Amino acid sequence: MRLPLNQDQRKGLVGAALLSVIVLAIVGTYALWGESYQARILYATFVNLLVVVGLQVFTGNANITGFSHAAFMGIAAYAAAICVTPAAMKLISLPDAPWGLNAFDLSPIVSAMIALAITGVLGLLTGLIVVRLSGVGVTIVSIAILVIVHSIFLHRTDIFKGNQALFGIPKVFGLPHITGLVIIAIFAARLFRESAIGLQLRACADDEAGARSMGVDVYRVRLIAWVLGTMFFATAGIAYAFFLGTISARPFYFNFVFLTVAMLILGGLRSVSGAVFGTLLISIGLEVVRWLETGPTLAGLKLPQMLGLSGLLLGVVIVAVMAFLPNGIMGNREIEDLFRRKTKGD
Amino acid sequence: MDYAIQQTLNALSFGAEYALIALGLAIVFSIMGLVNFAHGEVVAFGGYSMVIVSTLLTNSPWILMAGVLIACVVASVALERVAFRTVRGADLTTGLLTAFGVSIILQNLFLLLGSPRPMAATQFIFLDKTLTFGSVRVSSLQIYETLATFVAIGILMTFLRKTTLGMAMRAASLDFEMVRLCGIRANRVIAGAFAISGLLAGLACIFIMARRGSVQPHMGFDPVLVAFVACVIGGFGSLPGAVLGGFLLGIAEVVVLVLLPQSAGGMAQAAVFTMVALVLIWRPDGILSPAREKGDKI
Repeated sequence: MRLPLNQDQRKGLVGAALLSVIVLAIVGTYALWGESYQARILYATFVNLLVVVGLQVFTGNANITGFSHAAFMGIAAYAAAICVTPAAMKLISLPDAPWGLNAFDLSPIVSAMIALAITGVLGLLTGLIVVRLSGVGVTIVSIAILVIVHSIFLHRTDIFKGNQALFGIPKVFGLPHITGLVIIAIFAARLFRESAIGLQLRACADDEAGARSMGVDVYRVRLIAWVLGTMFFATAGIAYAFFLGTISARPFYFNFVFLTVAMLILGGLRSVSGAVFGTLLISIGLEVVRWLETGPTLAGLKLPQMLGLSGLLLGVVIVAVMAFLPNGIMGNREIEDLFRRKTKGD
Repeated sequence: MDYAIQQTLNALSFGAEYALIALGLAIVFSIMGLVNFAHGEVVAFGGYSMVIVSTLLTNSPWILMAGVLIACVVASVALERVAFRTVRGADLTTGLLTAFGVSIILQNLFLLLGSPRPMAATQFIFLDKTLTFGSVRVSSLQIYETLATFVAIGILMTFLRKTTLGMAMRAASLDFEMVRLCGIRANRVIAGAFAISGLLAGLACIFIMARRGSVQPHMGFDPVLVAFVACVIGGFGSLPGAVLGGFLLGIAEVVVLVLLPQSAGGMAQAAVFTMVALVLIWRPDGILSPAREKGDKI
């Protein structure tokens, strides 16, 4: 019988399964020995993981840096939040919302579907523009998207509450949900990378003219990856809103963008395993540094309070990786390549 | 009529500030293909140098201005030496992300060593007076800013056309290898570009400080974002493009502020960025993008 997947795709399944084992091991460790405040940190890490894996889909495979992911995440988070919050609560939190936005409520699943659909349509519309631009053009348009969406969040306080919190969202998600989503995301991103479209996209990144001459429809494959990426960001946004129960515009802006981009490039743009490892490493590093920032007492020595240390570390990681490890930790390798013995010609 | 003059001057002075910073980005980009996002932190560093010099040394505004210019040049050249030399010749994304990293590091250093809150530095505020010509009232700062920008652009043009280093820099933007083969030191050309970029940042810093009267860690980010946009609109790597883009953005911002109702003031930035996106769809490489030929450096 002929298997439906080729060799690389089967390798991809193994790799994704290995990554899922790592994710499950982390959750298991938490379940056995973790403290309850760590659930929040773990959840935030997994939301970041969803975003970074989604970034890998477009930025990694196409090797074009986009900065608009925080905007799509925000759109989905707000869309889901506005749909799912009970009408009685919305009369308090959004008293002057237009178009009867505060007069209905939907089940979490329908809300999530609507949020995904809205983000997907916006992703498609922006994608039609973005895929036609060259390197810096994509970066600037993605920054433009980020700034436009952020100013709309800030300005339309009647719908989005601006810098104030939009509260009263039912907390329907917990650690099990996000773990499931992360594992699905890892499999999806890995299978996309190994699929025909993913391969074509990586070929475009290496040599656009060459790929074109081999019959690759560059715009089409970039558009598919862009829209697929926005779906990951939307999922992350929905998961964020459904867990925290309150959202504001502030987290969906440049700081978050830098954080996630740093995670991606530390691990290595080109591989899904790199995205996962980068996220986990930076998350752990940041937790340690945040603890140092508060000025703890270490071996009898009272350290001073140092605001800005975590940001400093993030910048140092980006610069050091770019200078000494331009391909990140993983480079072009995936997790299963680490276990394979090197054969001749490899 | 008064209103029209006032708004024209607004547009010119906004544009001048954006053009100054955009030129600093463009001159570095044209030579080494680096989008220097840390440029805004050079501006912020100029502001902090004011605080340092005025506490340690003197409050004389003229010495402080010289101090700001020197500090910005030194900071800019030092950044090249420490951070950007390692990524010279790397692809665009690598350079862009390195610059972002440097910018984050500097912002957080300002935060750690300075203060998260704005620090007062009001020595340049005297530049901002209200002048009255007949019935027209204008700000002197806006006039100085516009004039200084035109003078700076004039001097820069003379420098690029008449001096050996200037000509080498123009040649380097077309073909760096060839310039090196002609016996010009690569390091000197690049350091020159960063020094000029720092000088322009220092000039912009003086005017920004005269308007704000305080310095804070993140103050460089918004101007450099706008300048980046100006460069992209004008055509990245083109110096006239950067100036054009800067002034176009200044005009666009004032037009949007005048046309939009007061209540929608917060949407000005969104409107400007929407226009930018539209310009890019029309001309993906910018309005004055240099003609690209095979073998040209981007």
